[in-house]
Amino acid sequence: MFDTLNYLLAGFAAAATPTNLLFALIGCFLGTLIGVLPGIGPAAGTAILIPLTFQLDATGAIIMLAAIYYGAMYGGTITSVLINVPGEAASVITCIEGHAMAKKGRAGAALGIAAIGSFIGGVVATVLLVVVATPLSKLALSFGPPEFFALMVVGLVLVTSLAGESLLAGILMTVTGLLISLIGLDPVRGAPRFTFGMPELYDGLNFIPVVMGLFGIGEILATAEKPYREVIRTNLKGLIPSRDEWRRSMGAIWRGTGLGFFLGLIPGVGAIIPTFMSYILEKRLSKHPEQFGTGVIEGVAGPETANNSYANGAMVPLLTLGIPSSPTIAVLMGAFIINGLTPGPLLFQERPELVWAVIASFFIGNVLLLILNLPLVGLWAKILEIPYQYICAGTLLFCIIGAYSINQSIFDLWVMLGCGIIGYLLRKLNFPLAPLVLGLILGPQIEKSMRTSLEMSAGDFSIFITRPLCASLLALAVAILAFAALHFAPKEIRDPNAD
Amino acid sequence: MRRGWLAAAGAFLALFAGTIYLSLKLPLLDALGPGPGFFPLILALLGAALAVALIVELVRESQGAADTHGAEVAEPFMPDGAALFRMGGIAVLLLAAFSALDPLGYRLTALLFITLLLLVLGVRNVLAIAVVALALSFGVFHSFYYWLKVPLPIGGFGL
Repeated sequence: MFDTLNYLLAGFAAAATPTNLLFALIGCFLGTLIGVLPGIGPAAGTAILIPLTFQLDATGAIIMLAAIYYGAMYGGTITSVLINVPGEAASVITCIEGHAMAKKGRAGAALGIAAIGSFIGGVVATVLLVVVATPLSKLALSFGPPEFFALMVVGLVLVTSLAGESLLAGILMTVTGLLISLIGLDPVRGAPRFTFGMPELYDGLNFIPVVMGLFGIGEILATAEKPYREVIRTNLKGLIPSRDEWRRSMGAIWRGTGLGFFLGLIPGVGAIIPTFMSYILEKRLSKHPEQFGTGVIEGVAGPETANNSYANGAMVPLLTLGIPSSPTIAVLMGAFIINGLTPGPLLFQERPELVWAVIASFFIGNVLLLILNLPLVGLWAKILEIPYQYICAGTLLFCIIGAYSINQSIFDLWVMLGCGIIGYLLRKLNFPLAPLVLGLILGPQIEKSMRTSLEMSAGDFSIFITRPLCASLLALAVAILAFAALHFAPKEIRDPNAD
Repeated sequence: MRRGWLAAAGAFLALFAGTIYLSLKLPLLDALGPGPGFFPLILALLGAALAVALIVELVRESQGAADTHGAEVAEPFMPDGAALFRMGGIAVLLLAAFSALDPLGYRLTALLFITLLLLVLGVRNVLAIAVVALALSFGVFHSFYYWLKVPLPIGGFGL
């Protein structure tokens, strides 16, 4: 524990430099902006902004991108409350109570309690992350290639089974993502696979244009199907909840913190589930459940806290095990890889100064977000008044810049457009995109783990069954699939394209 | 919607069938263990089986619906004319922008792209179009190229 505290203090020293503070502030600002703007989700937004970090050192780049990620969780609340449109998928539930509060003239109180609850949830979750990170990473060091293979299979199975209305469609998308990740030169033998003689494909398909296409261009095309909404004028008065609202919110905030963090530890859960579960929990515990839906502050405090607690908790499997929980965290993982880092237990051993600086930046980022979201909420409300056509134009242009700047290649732009059209069609048919993205990011590592395992066993597949931990994890994956096949999860939380 | 799913399942089946064919042309095993074709082959076989299962499930559902409820009520899949114009306009303009990016350079391409895009999306305020197009072309180029050091193309006209 003392070692952990020493590392954390060193992390604060690194994160609190003027440069890294500036990166955290920029990331929080951009993340909140992405959360506020409907039509661009955190996955595409983070992917678009990755090229901006190419000139930064690895620590600064990861600090900024992580700030964008949890900043988007704060920002999505604003549109949910003010205009009943979720800025990002995890804010859907806030539309129910938050917008109802806004109609009663209590929008400020809803936004205020959401920001404060998010702050408490984020900070407590980060403290818990500090507590579990080191022991979990040490446990993960005992994992071999078969265990990592099995763990990634569990992560993919969780995402697949909880995304979308059809399990078959989810698995299909996962398999497709894994296959796309195999395009390029075989990492072990160097043989070209599925390149069709095109040199541009020797390094495979870069995940940034793919994600920008699926989540960015695809979303813009889907939005273009409907007539654009009129400019929304917002009416925002006062941000301070009443004493009664404070009293009713505190229990919800602490329950949301615990629930969000715990669910964030489970790879593949996604951000929408903690918010729904928190809402259901608060309704069950309430003395007046019939009031839910009419603007009850616990219905905002709990889910928003769970949302942010989840966002910070989900960094635990990424940093300690190298398993992303959602498409946005998968994009973050891609950012790590671009910077020459492999998230997982070895990162704590090889680059502790970077990992602990990033963890320390979570504390700082949550403070910055509280400052950005309380006094500056009027600014965000003004941004909502920009006609969507201008936002669409800007988003498309930043997608072009983002995709082009990776390799200065027009080929990446064509990939982005192709994925955009495919993403639109898949979205129209309600095929889940999250499993495809996770398959794309995890594919190379899954193949590497599997091939290394089979080389260890001289081609004997029983290595996956004879090692107890590996066998247990694979059995867990099978059990999860069996539950999903029985339609365990309620239909309401099966948003196919939630983050 | 069911027809759309059937078409998608058929496309997936074709994709996985093609992948199986290409994977079999790669070495599956060698002296060091699994070869480059091993993992893709397993995935493609799994994917093909799932695509077939999905097609079977969809056919059974449509037969069940026909038996109990009569003909399926067709859900509109294609967007209406105005939506198709917007979506098609976005796609065509993106195609044109990608083609023009290297020869014309970022600034000129972005200026034309934003102007035409805003017109396609229904904006008619000429001043607003001019300001936004200039800001997103020349303004963004200056920010990204000189401040953020993100290389953007400069075309034949020096723009």
